[in-house]
Amino acid sequence: MRILLVEDDRDLGPRIARALRDERCAVDLVADGVDAAHLGETEAYDAAVLDLGLPGMDGVSVLRAWRAAGRDLPVLVLTARDGWSDKVSGFKAGADDYLVKPFRVEELVMRLRALVRRAAGHAQPLLRAGPLSLDAPTGTFELDGLPLKLTALEWRVLSQLMLRKGVVIERLDLLEKVYEGDADTDSNSLEVIVGRLRKKIGAALIETVRGRGYRLVGE
Amino acid sequence: MLIVSALATAVALALAGAAMAGLLGRLVVEGLDRRLDAELALLASAVDADGHVDRARLERVRGALDAGPEWRWRVDGPDGTLGSADFPRLDHPLDPPLGPAPPAGPLASRGPRPREGAAESGGEVHARELVIATPRGDVTLTAAAPRSVVRRPIEGALWPLLGALAAVAAVLTAALLVQLRVGLAPLRRLRDQVAAIRGGARDRVEEDQPAELRPLAAELNALAADNAAALAAARGAAANLAHALKTPVAALALDLRDRPEQAAQIERIDRTIRHHLARARAAAIDRRAATSLRPAAEGLVAAVGALHRDARIALDVPADLVVAVDAQDLDELLGNLLDNAARHAAARVTLGAVRDGRWVAVEVVDDGPGIPATERERVARPGTRLDERGDGHGFGLAIASELVALYGGALSLDQASGGGLAVRLTLPAA
Repeated sequence: MRILLVEDDRDLGPRIARALRDERCAVDLVADGVDAAHLGETEAYDAAVLDLGLPGMDGVSVLRAWRAAGRDLPVLVLTARDGWSDKVSGFKAGADDYLVKPFRVEELVMRLRALVRRAAGHAQPLLRAGPLSLDAPTGTFELDGLPLKLTALEWRVLSQLMLRKGVVIERLDLLEKVYEGDADTDSNSLEVIVGRLRKKIGAALIETVRGRGYRLVGE
Repeated sequence: MLIVSALATAVALALAGAAMAGLLGRLVVEGLDRRLDAELALLASAVDADGHVDRARLERVRGALDAGPEWRWRVDGPDGTLGSADFPRLDHPLDPPLGPAPPAGPLASRGPRPREGAAESGGEVHARELVIATPRGDVTLTAAAPRSVVRRPIEGALWPLLGALAAVAAVLTAALLVQLRVGLAPLRRLRDQVAAIRGGARDRVEEDQPAELRPLAAELNALAADNAAALAAARGAAANLAHALKTPVAALALDLRDRPEQAAQIERIDRTIRHHLARARAAAIDRRAATSLRPAAEGLVAAVGALHRDARIALDVPADLVVAVDAQDLDELLGNLLDNAARHAAARVTLGAVRDGRWVAVEVVDDGPGIPATERERVARPGTRLDERGDGHGFGLAIASELVALYGGALSLDQASGGGLAVRLTLPAA
């Protein structure tokens, strides 16, 4: 999962980013509303975590700008404003979820995973592909009922494939969703990751579609 | 005020009455004096230049001298005393005759002087005395009449006068009463409007007032505006403090998430902030608002539905209901109830509302496990420590209950027909 984290507090922002990375997310952290609006409109993210009180441009305006530009990425508003009027206006501006500070990281991650899963069109929290299963709320993969140990990059690639099982995912698309904005990306490293995944879950589950990308198979 | 005015009127009328009675008395006494002086003139006509008294002449005028039953006269001169045998005893004249002495002549006199005295019968007597200087010595002429002659006409005039004055007093007092009532009516209306501001029914008084009250009305409106601004400022200050604390607390919570003991303390700090934020909101309540129920409910249903994806929330609120509750307070109140219901519901939550006279009756029903009857009362009691039950039923219900109470409504908990919790509350209709 690649997350756009918009948080202007210098202490809190890096801490949330670290906590999300611990949960195997790729995180781009911005502290300014204008930058946030720009990144959300130009980069591909699985979800955004958006603070409301921001310099440059407030969070609700950022959200409206994304929606006006046709960006339908799931947005979780993370704010100190706990009044119901704030929540209502957040949802009216197009938020998908709302979490009040202080919060538990587990809850933030769980809610983000649920948002991403629903955005991919899955109503149920348990996703299956042959012998492979993903428990979306915890982010745990199992193979034949046994927990699967994955690195962060492996997990990001596999969950992207899993969320859009049966669909060819373009290499560029996959690269965007796996690496953070400032990381050195090259498609060779993607092939290395896919190769390692094939060793862990069996080569047949991940198909290479020549010239395009990868596809997860299995009903 | 009315009493003071009535007393003042009575005093003024009493003074006027006394002045009129005095004036009347003086006029009557002057009339009497003129008659006594005429008698003295008759007596003087019987005294010649030498001081001899012409008795024959006295006999001729006698009829004119005895004007009434107790009228008396006397002539006192060198030839002795003539006149009524029972002439009253007169006091010594206290005051010397006024004015310059009349010119000397054959019958030079110093002008008549008033004398007072008492008759043998005991009645008071008024007399006039004229001294005529003659070569043989002074001749003193005196005519006396009973005081009752003076008193009777005064008394006769005084009673009708007093009656008239009393009637004037009554009319004046009644007019005063009417004037006070009519004149104070705008003040009474103003008082009612100020009471309405305090009660939350309006936010300013009418400025279309009589000229004397217009500055007062303007001042009252400025005061009400200041009051409203102070309410908003208090609310804002409390919210700002709480919000400012939340972000560093969130950072701390992230640092301490692997240390359960410290994390528990963070949780406690958070609950305390939420508690006081809710309290500050409730204390800064604004009863003058009017909020349309349906749009508020729709926004909240969408928000709560997004936060609790498993719960289906049905809305049964007529579009024309308006409650006299501040929009934020209404959001807070219904948001907490819906959130509670959705959190505990198995699948369904219903929000219903109907107009009930001056009130709007609202009902939030869920199909969850409900609350045991023994617990219900304690949970919903206003003023229950909000942090006692954490994220359970207690927090939201206590906030809602407190807000409802502040708006004069009532909140009660019941068992829903399906077994879940039914929260019923009344809010003032706008």
